[in-house]
Amino acid sequence: MKRKLTPYLLLVPQILLTILFLIGLVTGITQSLGVIPAFGLTEPTLMYYKEVLTKPDLLKSVLFSLKLAFSSALMSTAAGVCLCAMLVLSRRTKGKMMRIVQLPIIVPHVVVALFVINICSQNGLLARVCYRLGMIGEQQEFPMLIYDSHGLGIIFAYLWKEIPFIVYFVIALMANIDGKLGEASVNLGANRFQTFFRVTLPLCLHAICSGFLIIFVFALGAYELPFILGATAPKALPVQAYIQYTHPDLRNRPYAMALNGMIIVISLVSAWVYFVLMRKNMKNLTIRE
Amino acid sequence: MRKKRVTVTNMVLACFVFTIILPVVVLLLWTVTERWAWPDLFPQVFSMRALAGIFQKGGTLTRIFLSSIMISSVVAVLSVVIGTLTARALVLYEFRGKGLIHFLTVLPFMVPATAFAMGIQIAFIKMGLNNTVMGVVVSHLICSLPYAVRLMMDGTAAVGDRLEEQARVLGASAVQAFVRVTLPVLVPVLLSAFSMSYIVSFSQYFLTLLIGGGQVRTFTVVMVPYLLSGERNIACAYSVIFLGVTLAVFGIFEKIADRWSRNMDTEFYA
Repeated sequence: MKRKLTPYLLLVPQILLTILFLIGLVTGITQSLGVIPAFGLTEPTLMYYKEVLTKPDLLKSVLFSLKLAFSSALMSTAAGVCLCAMLVLSRRTKGKMMRIVQLPIIVPHVVVALFVINICSQNGLLARVCYRLGMIGEQQEFPMLIYDSHGLGIIFAYLWKEIPFIVYFVIALMANIDGKLGEASVNLGANRFQTFFRVTLPLCLHAICSGFLIIFVFALGAYELPFILGATAPKALPVQAYIQYTHPDLRNRPYAMALNGMIIVISLVSAWVYFVLMRKNMKNLTIRE
Repeated sequence: MRKKRVTVTNMVLACFVFTIILPVVVLLLWTVTERWAWPDLFPQVFSMRALAGIFQKGGTLTRIFLSSIMISSVVAVLSVVIGTLTARALVLYEFRGKGLIHFLTVLPFMVPATAFAMGIQIAFIKMGLNNTVMGVVVSHLICSLPYAVRLMMDGTAAVGDRLEEQARVLGASAVQAFVRVTLPVLVPVLLSAFSMSYIVSFSQYFLTLLIGGGQVRTFTVVMVPYLLSGERNIACAYSVIFLGVTLAVFGIFEKIADRWSRNMDTEFYA
């Protein structure tokens, strides 16, 4: 009997925090359905979601953020996996190299924004180098890389931070598989490249997909970088949501929550996929041992 | 052919390292820059004005320092403790609802802070936690806990409970067995869970701003206005100081973890 209770006792603080978190989610979702009794709104409706998907400026935010998050995540994952492969194949998976890889993970996003301003703005180092090389004749000729409507500066910032994240996320597993099963495959006559593409990479696929999802959802929902580096229009989803949330007209509140609701739905689906991948990964690892 | 491939690899890796290091170097330069006009590649006039300005407001700096570090440390300690308990329950026990609870522990990791922050602020206003340090700590904790749980689960699974059971057979109580057998082996994992949670809390901007309502001033909340108003060298100086502190925290903890695991016999993991 006592043994049966133990896990629940151990979980008490975790469950309390989880309840708080769920209250946050549920409050957001209820308000997004237009139920705010304090403002005299009690009828649940999908109207706000419909409007978010039809009002041009709000829809633009949704599409802009999806594009931004998807391209950041895809590029980070691809580049991260390539670098990771290079590190594993050249056996540089420990020591100084890993310290450098860890650095961007430690740096807060607001500081990364500062980095991008220092390097990529029209007054930044990159523009000056281009001028010195004679590629541009004037400061204004340098393309707008930050505060631009394509969100290039934001993507650069994410790449700087997330490529090392993917390397860090995947490298231990990749080095481990390459060391154990890779050796077997080389013994059986495959060369290092065949081994990598036929054995190591497929076995790392779960981890790589999880990494992609983490970055995608993060970039979709993060406020800092688009707030600091973004253009006035289109605004990213979280920035737009915050504007609606702090709008003096309280009737705008449901729009904020509907915008958030979109992020929540997408992230819940991603969380589920991530969870399934993680469990599969764990099973794979235990079977292998 | 082989040589060529090695050269290409080395060049790519060199570019990668350069790209990571360059912004940090430029950041350091900016903190001591007075004038850096177009189109020079190097600042023309150096001065310690930005740094001196920050240090002159000694009281403010210390206060931000203390509140930032205190908040993040409290968050990190709590998430390590809670993470250890949760990991134990999820790894060593079978019980009803385990899958669901495991999923719920992962969830805040995947739901962006912005998305649940506004909902949680409304709940916090009702509970009187809004605009308080306590509220900021709790909201940071929600974000950092999944990292700690993940790390502690790996650690707990690696250690297992066989040694603890032996201690129990030899007459130790459950708590004794955990504290004297499992806990010492877990120290390196505990430290990395601490560092990770610390970083997550330390990096929060939106959550701190929203839940803290400007009353709770951490490093990010203080730094961003300088960045937005174009006082770049002050923003850079703040960033350098706080990156330095973070790196120091990390370095010290890693040293301790290294020394600890060298002293512990590795056969514990066998």
